[in-house]
Amino acid sequence: MKFYKNHYDVIVIGGALAGLSSALMLADKGLSVLVLERHNLPGGIATSFVRGGIEIEAALHEMMSIGPEDRRLKVGKFFDDMGVGIDWLPVPEAYHASLPDLEVTLHPGLETFAQEIDDAVPGTYHQVLNLLKLCDSVFNSVNELSIHPMSKAQMLIQHEAFVKTAGYSTKEVLDSFDLPQKAVDLLSPYWIYVGSAFSELPFTIYSVLMADYVGYGSFIPRKLSHEMSLKMAERAEEMGVQIEYGQHVEKILVKHGRAYGVRTARGDEIHGDYVISSAYPNTVYSKMIEPAREVPEKATRMVNARRISLTAFSVIMILDRPAEELNIHDYSIFRGDTMDTDELYENLAGLGPYRYLTCICHNYGNPEVTPEGTCSFSITVLPRVEGWKQVTADDYDRVKHAVARQLIDDMSAYFGVNLLDHVLEIVIETPMTVAHYTNAWNGSIYGYAHTMKDHIIARLQTGEEERLIKGLEFAGAHAISGDGMGPQVTNGRKAAKNILDDIAAKEARKK
Amino acid sequence: MKVKNFLQDVSGASRVTRARLKAFEQASPALDGTDPIGEAARTWHPGPAELIITQIRDTGKTAKTIRFARPDGGKLPPFYAGQYMVLTFCIGSSIVSRPYSISSAPWQARQDQDPFVEITVRRSRGDGFVCDYIHENLKPGDTVVCDLAYGQFYYEPLRDARHVLALAGGVGITPFASMAKEIAAGKMDCDLTILYGSVSSDDILLKEELEALEGDHVKVVHVLSGEDPSWQGERGFLTAELIRRYSREDTSCFICGPQAMYRFLREELKSLSIPRRRIRFEVFGQARDITSFEGYPAELSGKTFRLSVWRGIHEDVIPARADESIATALERAGIRIRTGCRSGECGLCRTKVLAGSFYVCPEGDGRRAADKDFNYVHACSAYPTGDLKIKIPIL
Repeated sequence: MKFYKNHYDVIVIGGALAGLSSALMLADKGLSVLVLERHNLPGGIATSFVRGGIEIEAALHEMMSIGPEDRRLKVGKFFDDMGVGIDWLPVPEAYHASLPDLEVTLHPGLETFAQEIDDAVPGTYHQVLNLLKLCDSVFNSVNELSIHPMSKAQMLIQHEAFVKTAGYSTKEVLDSFDLPQKAVDLLSPYWIYVGSAFSELPFTIYSVLMADYVGYGSFIPRKLSHEMSLKMAERAEEMGVQIEYGQHVEKILVKHGRAYGVRTARGDEIHGDYVISSAYPNTVYSKMIEPAREVPEKATRMVNARRISLTAFSVIMILDRPAEELNIHDYSIFRGDTMDTDELYENLAGLGPYRYLTCICHNYGNPEVTPEGTCSFSITVLPRVEGWKQVTADDYDRVKHAVARQLIDDMSAYFGVNLLDHVLEIVIETPMTVAHYTNAWNGSIYGYAHTMKDHIIARLQTGEEERLIKGLEFAGAHAISGDGMGPQVTNGRKAAKNILDDIAAKEARKK
Repeated sequence: MKVKNFLQDVSGASRVTRARLKAFEQASPALDGTDPIGEAARTWHPGPAELIITQIRDTGKTAKTIRFARPDGGKLPPFYAGQYMVLTFCIGSSIVSRPYSISSAPWQARQDQDPFVEITVRRSRGDGFVCDYIHENLKPGDTVVCDLAYGQFYYEPLRDARHVLALAGGVGITPFASMAKEIAAGKMDCDLTILYGSVSSDDILLKEELEALEGDHVKVVHVLSGEDPSWQGERGFLTAELIRRYSREDTSCFICGPQAMYRFLREELKSLSIPRRRIRFEVFGQARDITSFEGYPAELSGKTFRLSVWRGIHEDVIPARADESIATALERAGIRIRTGCRSGECGLCRTKVLAGSFYVCPEGDGRRAADKDFNYVHACSAYPTGDLKIKIPIL
């Protein structure tokens, strides 16, 4: 029996947001594309599951880079352009910050956000707004430069803020604004979405994060992230992409430094001109390249030099009361007993008690997401992989429950309501859950940490030389733009663009 | 604008690029292939693998308990008491998969000496051809492809009451046998009262094993519905009155048994003011008679349609009966499909319908909303109502 064509232009390993974005873009240009996904549905962790008849979001808190209909940002625009029509719902607020001596709800819009910080910390409006405007300026430069690269001199003239902040950490730039600590605290909660302490986090990344989320607000798909993943997959198939679920790719076949196909766990050998891997470089270079001698030494050094960023731990509950009755009043709550990101980053290396929690009450963004009289509430920590690497299979359940209980107890104390008295359904997702469903390296969801030693600008500068095996591209949180569901679309498009450029260059040489 | 000073400000991009390249140069060239988090995940969920039957024993007049071990004698995956495993058999030209609740305890799968898992299977009353196949054909030394563990029917300390009232009917005792064993061994911290409904004392499964587990935390109460003058214990069905009598101030009811019992208990439970979160049903199982469900086009019963099955670029065309699920049609034709719960809930048999009409069993329809919009079905609970074209994973 023959299940595959003799040859594909591109074989994509992994049918999550990055892989599907690649597939959409390549199919749009008329290439023949095969997507091989391990699980029996698309999306990776951008998915949902059903418990007790209720569909529950698996991972998405909020999508960045969508933008309202009249001012779409790049990811929202890509979906529109590709004919992937998603029913986006706006998230009503930026976040509720629950920090030492601060209980403040902030809303999107640069001025609104600055005004609300000023209400909590008077006299800070102008400085905060200046900071947000600086972020916005860097953000606009990043978006423009990713499409139209230019010379350094030109850049300095046209993108001064971007150039001048490029070499600094978030902490260094924030310090230069000389804001009261409380204002800085209120400007910090999103840090967890990029997962590095401000002393290490490139200001460029902070800028994009703040300008995007605060400037444009965030969005969620009405039918959960499965709506997004499935619509991408369905559209890709409509455009001629072959997607095969339940196919675990074990090997990437390489000859004379060039990838020419893959082999699945089933034993199918499939050939193609290009391979896009959503599997981490760590997995690819340590387990997948066949023969192993085709792994360049530089690849190993690169993988070893880079730090695996965060993984995820979530307790998701369906509670048997409406949110208001449980004193839950916000879509998202960021709660920490400090806002010192160095301390918090250190805390994430262990197994708890965790000190920085991110909570989502889905109903505030999507009122019909659970049946009447109930609500959905999740508590998430994004730990580093180090602590969880120590957990054995036999100790796993104990650790999982101990951590879950700590998170629930903390939030119960905060609300003054014992959430455990209201649990209709509870699901505990751990780094192992991520590893199980996606095979992501050590259950990581954030790829490589954004640090001053692994700076996004440096990644862009040297990206070309890091394409070490010809015909092999990477798309996923481990790629240039890093973590987050929005950035996965960008990562996927970048991998596709590399291939399209390569093909164009070959055509040009022929002529 | 200025952050520090002009020169330092404008040289940022070069500085960070140098820093990154330097980090690469200084890194070790030795491959580190360790993925302990992935390893732990694979220990819990290794996927389908052959297990060897090490023992078969009678645990009731009509029941056998089958013990499985890994061929290398290694530990089996950890699981939660109450979960099931999926067994796959080639029977004639069919390839069939069925879920069976694990009746042994989780600790027995992880013990150092001779770890094992067991299922307890009752001979059917003519309607369960896999159960009968197991009874008639399996013997020690045989290997079976098993996939464990799945299912949501287990005690969750962060959700359930400390006291669990098990309402078991017939072979529905098996998940509770696993729980009782785990509790009796001190590995699970809750109290379990089992109300076990059988027709006659001959129908009771695992009787001696359950008796041996009784103690401070495990209590077993047999309830017989048939005529048996010598019976001294509880009689009748598992009624609201009985549930009330064996409940404590805070009790979670766990229910596992035949479909008729589910229908009966749903009504009985309505008369008790038990909060919704304190009632948990195990999955319903494959509909016994799909034509009896509301909305099923009864006139189709007995009809056979043309089912076009796409796997990759390969097409097979097979017959599919209107009153049998798509999964069953595939199994009859010897086309592999992964299935789990066989109740429409777990989604392991998620299948795309490319064209044609179908009926989905309303009982336990566990599909995602967006899946419904795009004509995905769970093949174990979807029935053709005309010629059909589907796409399934290549196995």
